[in-house]
Amino acid sequence: MEKNDWIAGGIFIALGIGIFILTIPFPSLDKGHPGPALFPNILAALFIFFGLLLGLKAKKPSVDKPLENSTAAASIPKNIGNAFFILGIIAAFMVLESWLGFLLTSFFLLFLLMKKLGTSAWKSLTLSVLVTVFVYFLFYKILRVPLSPGFLSW
Amino acid sequence: MDFIIQGLSLLFVPKVLLILAISCVYGLFVGAMPGLTATMAAALLIPFTFFMDPVPALASIVAMSAMAIFAGDIPAALVRIPGTPSSAAYTQDSFELTKQGQGEMVLGVDVVFSVIGGLIGAIILMVSAPLLAEVAMTFTTFEFFWLAALGLSATVMVSRGSQVKGALAMILGLFLSTIGVDITLGFPRFTFGSVELLNGVNFIPAMIGLFGLSEVIRNVMEPHIAYPIAKVRAGKIFYGMTALVKKYKLNITRSSLLGTFIGILPGAGADIAAWLAYAVSKRGSKEPEKYGTGSIEAIVDAGTANNACLAGAWVPAMVFGIPGDSITAIVIGVLFMKGLRPGPMIFERSPEMVYAVYFSFILANLLMIPFGYLAIKTSAQMLRVPKKILMPAILMFCMVGSFAINNSLFDVGMMLVMGIIGFFLEANGFPVAPVVLGLVLGPILEKNFMMSMIKTEWDFLPFFYRPVSAILCTLTIIIWFFPFLAAFLERAKKKNQV
Repeated sequence: MEKNDWIAGGIFIALGIGIFILTIPFPSLDKGHPGPALFPNILAALFIFFGLLLGLKAKKPSVDKPLENSTAAASIPKNIGNAFFILGIIAAFMVLESWLGFLLTSFFLLFLLMKKLGTSAWKSLTLSVLVTVFVYFLFYKILRVPLSPGFLSW
Repeated sequence: MDFIIQGLSLLFVPKVLLILAISCVYGLFVGAMPGLTATMAAALLIPFTFFMDPVPALASIVAMSAMAIFAGDIPAALVRIPGTPSSAAYTQDSFELTKQGQGEMVLGVDVVFSVIGGLIGAIILMVSAPLLAEVAMTFTTFEFFWLAALGLSATVMVSRGSQVKGALAMILGLFLSTIGVDITLGFPRFTFGSVELLNGVNFIPAMIGLFGLSEVIRNVMEPHIAYPIAKVRAGKIFYGMTALVKKYKLNITRSSLLGTFIGILPGAGADIAAWLAYAVSKRGSKEPEKYGTGSIEAIVDAGTANNACLAGAWVPAMVFGIPGDSITAIVIGVLFMKGLRPGPMIFERSPEMVYAVYFSFILANLLMIPFGYLAIKTSAQMLRVPKKILMPAILMFCMVGSFAINNSLFDVGMMLVMGIIGFFLEANGFPVAPVVLGLVLGPILEKNFMMSMIKTEWDFLPFFYRPVSAILCTLTIIIWFFPFLAAFLERAKKKNQV
């Protein structure tokens, strides 16, 4: 956790510096009083201050208690591939939903994800259809969310 | 009296009652599933509340959260894994008693004392909120600024783990709240030319990402474990409860008050209430040696406190618009979405809705008896639902729920970014709740500060010499210096011992 705290501290300091730079062109209020830049600049200063504090504390033995019920805080990730797969599924949803339509995209992505997580092919197939139909019915039919029909709109 | 009748008539409508019942089942299921939290359940519920009227929207969140907090006790007793963090404090005691053949009684205690705690919390909410609202009516921008500052300071103070990390998480939330058009000149800040960002970070996809997607990522990374489920006969779970209520009446009073008070503190949720009630209970118990090895008294105290805490968190949310925990932060977001501004004026403008919320608490807690009983009866089946099926379904709800608010894929992208941020924060020991509170309180803090400064032509003094402002300012400063004071007192105590 200590090495991670160093990195996290560095990221927050960089974020603080970045905010300072980005707020340079922000306008001021009348009579030169600070305007839209004031609050972000205070936050940038706080990012740098607490980022430094986190880095300095990381040098000392950590007294941080692990979060309750958060195995992620303590354990080394075992299936990092699954996490990347999830991110890929979301990206694919954003690309495919308007083109393939919700029904096909949802079925296809759910099937892929269930298979990847170790569900048998038949179970994945059946459950992907069921979940897709349920979500479609709930959002499209009941809540009237305009889910894309894709090329099925022909 | 008219408002009471109006509140009841808003709630006791077949459609609202049906929504309430569905929310109860949803809360019970999520709460009973280890690894899923009540906050995640609330985040996934928001897209649905978007399409509801305010009363069913709020009632569904109340019912869902009360059920989820109770249902977290079920896997604690049966598989020694708390369903939600709120049950973690007494998981060991629950499971040890189950192993000793007292599982039926433990589950009965979980239901009955959750109901009692929830009802007492609701009564305190009903009594204290209108009184505080009258005081809050006199507040100006100066007091609201300090209230927001006090809320944020308390959030950092009570954040789990390191306070430095809590502070950084809160500042991140505050920074996210600055994205979009600023309130003084209408200048676009950190939008990078994106039209979608002009209105700021959309609260709903942000919540779904922080609490929903991050949980999905965390769960799929963990290896699949089939829990050995303890077999418990759940036929007469309420047998002997009257005697236990009589025996522990003082514990009930103490823990309900403590739980509600913890709920009122911004940032402190039901898990902290349970841990504190557990610690206080152990200190005051005649049998402290039983704690951790199967103490029914521990379960009574902590189980009462975590449910009382829920209603407590609604006090600052409704009266001041300052959320008491992550769930009420979501509630405030829902209220804004409905065009309602939480704060003292809501008691004047929509008193019938306030009463409907009170009655939602009462009703949700009373419904916990039959619904809780059914959940216990079906718990073995619920706990067998594999995550490899559940997680893809939740992910689909996250994506479609984010899309549904503006029918925009940009919001799905926003959910993705916030999910990654939430996951990395939690994986590195940063609490996520302060991010949400920062996101909600940021605009209140900035708006009230800038309005005050423009009003007084940049004179800072009114922030300090107005009586209520001065009190709130002093409290905020005390909170800032409390860690240093505590460390100093600790050192002094150690020196004296040497």
